[in-house]
Amino acid sequence: MIIASWVCLFAPLGATVAITLGGTRWTRRGAGRLATASVFVSFIAAAVAFFSMLGRDTGDRSHLSTAWTWLAAGNFHVGLSILVDPLSIFMMLVVSGVGALIVGYSIGYMDGDDEERRYFAYMALFVFSMLLLVQAGNLLLLLVGWGLVGLCSYFLIGYHHERPAAVAAAKKAFIMNAFGDATMALAFFLLIQKTGSLEFAASFQWAGGAAGTWAVNLVALGLLGGAVAKSAQLPLQTWLPDAMEGPTPVSALIHAATMVTAGVYLLVRAAPIFERAAHVQQLAAGLGAATLLLAGFIALVQVDIKRVIAYSTMSQIGYMFLGAGLGAYANAMFHLMTHAFFKALLFLAAGIVIHALVGEQDMRKMGGLRRFLPRTYVAFLVGALALTGIPPLSGFFSKDSILASALAAGWYGDLLFAAGLVGAFLTGLYTFRMLFLVFGGEPSAYAREHFHQAERNEPWLWMGLTVGALTVLSVIGGWIQIAGLWHPLTDFLKPAAEPLVEPSGLQDLLASLGAVSLGVAGALLAWSIYGTRRIGVPSARPLRALLEHKFYFDEAYDLLFYRPAVRLAQSLRDSVERPLVQGSLTGIAAGARRVGTEVTELQTGVVRTYAFAIAGSVAVLALVFVWVK
Amino acid sequence: MGPNVTWYVAVASFLFGIGALGVMLRRSPLIILLSLEIMLNGANLAFIAFSRHHGHLDGQVFALAVMAVAAAEVVVGLGLIVAMNRRQLVLDVDKLSTLRG
Repeated sequence: MIIASWVCLFAPLGATVAITLGGTRWTRRGAGRLATASVFVSFIAAAVAFFSMLGRDTGDRSHLSTAWTWLAAGNFHVGLSILVDPLSIFMMLVVSGVGALIVGYSIGYMDGDDEERRYFAYMALFVFSMLLLVQAGNLLLLLVGWGLVGLCSYFLIGYHHERPAAVAAAKKAFIMNAFGDATMALAFFLLIQKTGSLEFAASFQWAGGAAGTWAVNLVALGLLGGAVAKSAQLPLQTWLPDAMEGPTPVSALIHAATMVTAGVYLLVRAAPIFERAAHVQQLAAGLGAATLLLAGFIALVQVDIKRVIAYSTMSQIGYMFLGAGLGAYANAMFHLMTHAFFKALLFLAAGIVIHALVGEQDMRKMGGLRRFLPRTYVAFLVGALALTGIPPLSGFFSKDSILASALAAGWYGDLLFAAGLVGAFLTGLYTFRMLFLVFGGEPSAYAREHFHQAERNEPWLWMGLTVGALTVLSVIGGWIQIAGLWHPLTDFLKPAAEPLVEPSGLQDLLASLGAVSLGVAGALLAWSIYGTRRIGVPSARPLRALLEHKFYFDEAYDLLFYRPAVRLAQSLRDSVERPLVQGSLTGIAAGARRVGTEVTELQTGVVRTYAFAIAGSVAVLALVFVWVK
Repeated sequence: MGPNVTWYVAVASFLFGIGALGVMLRRSPLIILLSLEIMLNGANLAFIAFSRHHGHLDGQVFALAVMAVAAAEVVVGLGLIVAMNRRQLVLDVDKLSTLRG
């Protein structure tokens, strides 16, 4: 179990190193195959670890394995250690499994790109970072993985470095993430001061004895800051839609397997701390609910197919935050897994559409693609149904289990439940709006003109196979846990995160009824607006402007942070840099030059004056010596 | 034993003074070189006089070193003067003031 976990962790790193060192000795497709194989090896190793864990007693499933002391400063030791327990095994399976499919798909998607090797080296590194994050045996190593994930996202979002928009988006993602990293680091400093270590066990023990104190609240708040930044929740959500500048498989990897799920993982992993800071945990749930509504509304007016899917990710992660914040840890992780399946599916299917239309992402130019891409249509439909939460697809089971848990969590939960129901309606609406715009109706003029059939070669096969596998997973992925009847996942995760809420059968039923009927209602509304066009698109100009500007978050941040910072920098330049720094240097230089000019007057060039000067000086010196004696 | 050391030092100072005046007052580089030699010999005389007076050989060794240096200096100096002559420069140190700041 332990060895398999180490293999799982380091296989993708090996691929990164090999591709980087090998350089052009790798063929482009060879680099892709190696990266895919390495992530697949990770998945196999994770599966081996998983099954050997199933063979053990429940009490014997959590192991901390330390390779060596990685950092030592006085009494403070941090080991390079991994924690293998049900939670991390679960994440390893999701990350490496979905990751392998996405990297495999990239072989097809990126085929013919100039810098394929760099791309695959980054992809493997990305998976490694995420595995490090979920397997980390102490908080410091977790922060290392956390930072590496942010770095890789920077690399990959800015992969098309010749496009200014991509570079700007990469910087935006990195800076927003760095903000979260900073709050996490501050929380860790506080932890070190209080406990003298960053081990999970020690900090959880300390939190247990310090419930409700300001220190626990601050630590939890710092961790929440990191989680919010990484998972693109309010108020640090603005980087995620811009991150669509990266290649489509990168978006899929960020949204499905790595990166944005890290925040949810942290909420569950550090649950013992959050539970002792109840208000912060409730804040997390509230932020999740607010984000899922906000993202759902914005998704209604987006015209870029990838951006719609991006906002749906924000919305679904909001559900996970809601669940994790209310203590329904297993349900949040369950939704994380099913979401990974159908979100990867949606992105990769969208990638096929984008490919078929030679890079076009604007849905207004699409339409009627069902006729050209029948199999992609089926895959996309499955993804959309799963996202909306229609039974018996995967999204139904996981989303409704979160909503049922909200019902079981008192008046605050009821409030969040209502938000979740509105979110379900919005999900149906924007998902099927996208579906009808892209695939429904008659083929648009643009689609007729630009559609080109992919050649049935090896890259095409990679794309088809991975999308097919994800379609199957999106259908059956939810069957591993059926609320009220069958809950192996909750039992499996119990040793790592004991759920705080236990919904009753009635609550399960109520949540499912509400969510499904509202989801279907949303889908029907989308059908009548965009499918049959029986109802016109509502104009509501001010509302539309509000949504198209994404609730003016970018503008507000620009006004609140960017402009003042620029103004401060400019005034510092004018009042400090120029007069003090630049001025003093200019003064010194001018003084030296003036002194030099005056001293040159002494140099007459006539030997006689030098001789006089020497003789005179010697005479004076001689007199001084005699006189002093 | 010969005369008192004072006389020797007086002669040495006299020679040194004549040399120094020559260096400072004359214009021809040749004469300046000659005056330099006179200064060096004045110093040498003082060295040897004191050496004898104190019964140490250090001063005599020093005098030998000074002679060697003087010879080398004459070589360089005369070389310079020959070079100046070849380039048809006026042999007047007051006119050679291109190093003026």
